Amino acid sequence: MPDLKKLYDSVVSGDAKTTQAITQQALAEGVDPLKLVNEHMVPAMDEVGRRFEANEYFVPELLISARAMKAALELIRPLLVARGDKPVGRVAIGTVKGDLHDIGKNLVASLLEGGGFEVIDLGVNVSPEKFIETVNTKQANIVAMSALLTTTMPSMKTTIDALKAAGVRNKVKVLIGGAPITQKYADEIGADGYSENAVGAVALAKKSVAPA
Amino acid sequence: MTSRERVLAHLAGRPVDRLPLMPITMMFACAQVGARYRDYCTDYRVLVEGQIRTAEAFGFDYVNTMSDPAREAADCGATVEYFDHQPVAIVEDQALLADKTKLAALKIPDPLGGGRMHNGIKALALYRERVGQDKIIEGWIEGPIAEAADLRGINTLMMDFFDDPVFVRDLFAFIVELELRFAGEQIKAGADLIGVGDAAASLVGPQLYDEFVWPYEKQLVDGIHALGGRVRLHICGNTRRILEGLGKLGCEVVDLDSLAPIEEARQKMGPDAVLLGNLNPVAVLRNGDPAGVTAAIAECHRQAGPRFIVGAGCEVPRDTPAANLRALCSYAHGHRP
Repeated sequence: MPDLKKLYDSVVSGDAKTTQAITQQALAEGVDPLKLVNEHMVPAMDEVGRRFEANEYFVPELLISARAMKAALELIRPLLVARGDKPVGRVAIGTVKGDLHDIGKNLVASLLEGGGFEVIDLGVNVSPEKFIETVNTKQANIVAMSALLTTTMPSMKTTIDALKAAGVRNKVKVLIGGAPITQKYADEIGADGYSENAVGAVALAKKSVAPA
Repeated sequence: MTSRERVLAHLAGRPVDRLPLMPITMMFACAQVGARYRDYCTDYRVLVEGQIRTAEAFGFDYVNTMSDPAREAADCGATVEYFDHQPVAIVEDQALLADKTKLAALKIPDPLGGGRMHNGIKALALYRERVGQDKIIEGWIEGPIAEAADLRGINTLMMDFFDDPVFVRDLFAFIVELELRFAGEQIKAGADLIGVGDAAASLVGPQLYDEFVWPYEKQLVDGIHALGGRVRLHICGNTRRILEGLGKLGCEVVDLDSLAPIEEARQKMGPDAVLLGNLNPVAVLRNGDPAGVTAAIAECHRQAGPRFIVGAGCEVPRDTPAANLRALCSYAHGHRP
C-alpha cells in the first residue's frame, strides 16, 4: 500500500510524476478513488489555496500543483464516472466575450477542480450562447465568469440577460470575478456572487451548491 | 517652466513649480479623438493625436506610445488578434514559442523594419516635431517576463520556471537584446523616457523574481542608461513582495499599481526613489467622485513624500468621468512636491 501522505505532499509540491505514480499504485491496490480525492487531494489543494492566500505560493506554484492534481484526476475520473459518482457541482467557467486574459480564470478552475467540482473550462472570449449551451448540454449548475478589462465587463451583464432570455437563469448560480469587478457591480447586474480572489471563489462555489 | 523642464528637473532633484503629472492613458486617450482602438494601436498618427489632445486637455506633462503589449511579439511573428475597441491581444494557444526549440532560430526583428515597432518609433518622431519642446516624450518596451509571457504563453511560462529554468534564462536574454535594440531606436527618435512594462513580474513571488526576473530587468535598465535613456518601470498588479528589488534596479521612476502601498515602497526603496501613482484606477478614479480622487491622491503624496509624480495606479479606464480625472490633475497642478 503506498504511503498516501506522499500523495498529499506531491500535490502540494507540484510533483506530477510522483502524484500520478502513487495514484496508479493506490488504484491498482483497490483504494477507493473517492477516498483518494476527498481525503488526500482535496485537502492538498486546500493547502495550496491557503498558501496562495498567505503569499507563500504564487501563480507558478499553484499551476504546478494543479497540474499534479490533474494528472491524478485523469486516472480517477473515469472510475468515478463509471460508477455514477457525482461531483460537488458542475461549473462552466470562462472569460467573457472579448476578454483573452485567462490566468485568473485558470487559477480558479484549478482550485475548483481540486475542491471536487467538475469544471467545464470554456476558455477565453466565451459568448453568452456558449455558456447557455454548456448549461443545457452538460448540466452545469454554476456559471463562473471573469473579466480583466473595464471594457469587457459589460459582457457579464449581457450573459446574465441571455441566461434569463434562454429560460435557464434559475438553473444556475452565476459567480463573477476579475480585477475591475466589485461586489457592487455583481449586485447591479444580478450575479449571485463575487469573489476578489481565487480561494474565495471556491468557497463561494461550495456555498452555492450547498443544500438550502 | 515647461512640462519637459519640470519633469527633468524633478528627476534630477532640482526645485520645480509643482508636482509632475504623468498618468497612463491609452483607451482613454483614444476616446478623446473618437477613434477605434484598432486604429490607435496600428496608426501612429491616431495615437499621437489622442495623446496630445489628452495631454493638452488635462494638463499632463508627457505623452506616451503605449497601446498594447503585442508590438514586439507581433514583429517576432507571434499570432495576435486585433479588436476594434480593445487592445491587440496575443493568441496564447498559438504561442510563437509553444515549441521551445524555436527560440534558437528566432531572429530579433528590425525595429525599423516597417512593423509595429516601427510604427511606435514613428509616433516618437512625430511627437518630437509637435510637442518636443514642451512635453516629456515617453516610449515603451515590454520587460523580460512580460515579453516572455507574450512569446511563450503566460500559463506555460509560469511552469517553465520549475520545468526548464535554463530555457527561461535563454528566453529572457533574447528579450533583453530585443528590447535594448527597440529602446535604442526609440531614444534616437526622441524618447526622453523609456517606459518598461513587466506585468507578469507581479505573479511570481519574491523568490522567482529575485532569481530569474530581477537580473534581466537590471540588464535592461543598465542597457537603457548606457544608450542615454531614462527608465519608468511599471509592473501591473501586486508588487508588495518585490518592492525592495524594484528599488535596486536604478530606474528614474517606479510607477506603482494600487495594490502596493506607496508608504511601504518608500520605506523599502529609500528617500530618493521617484515614485509614481497609485490610487485605484477603477474603484477610485472611475467609480468614485472628484472629492474621493483628491483625497486619495493627497494620501499617496503624503505617503510618498516629495520624490513623487502624480498618476493613477494603472491605466486610466476608458470611461473615467472627466471630472474625476480633472480632480487628479488639479492636485498636481496645485501642489508642490
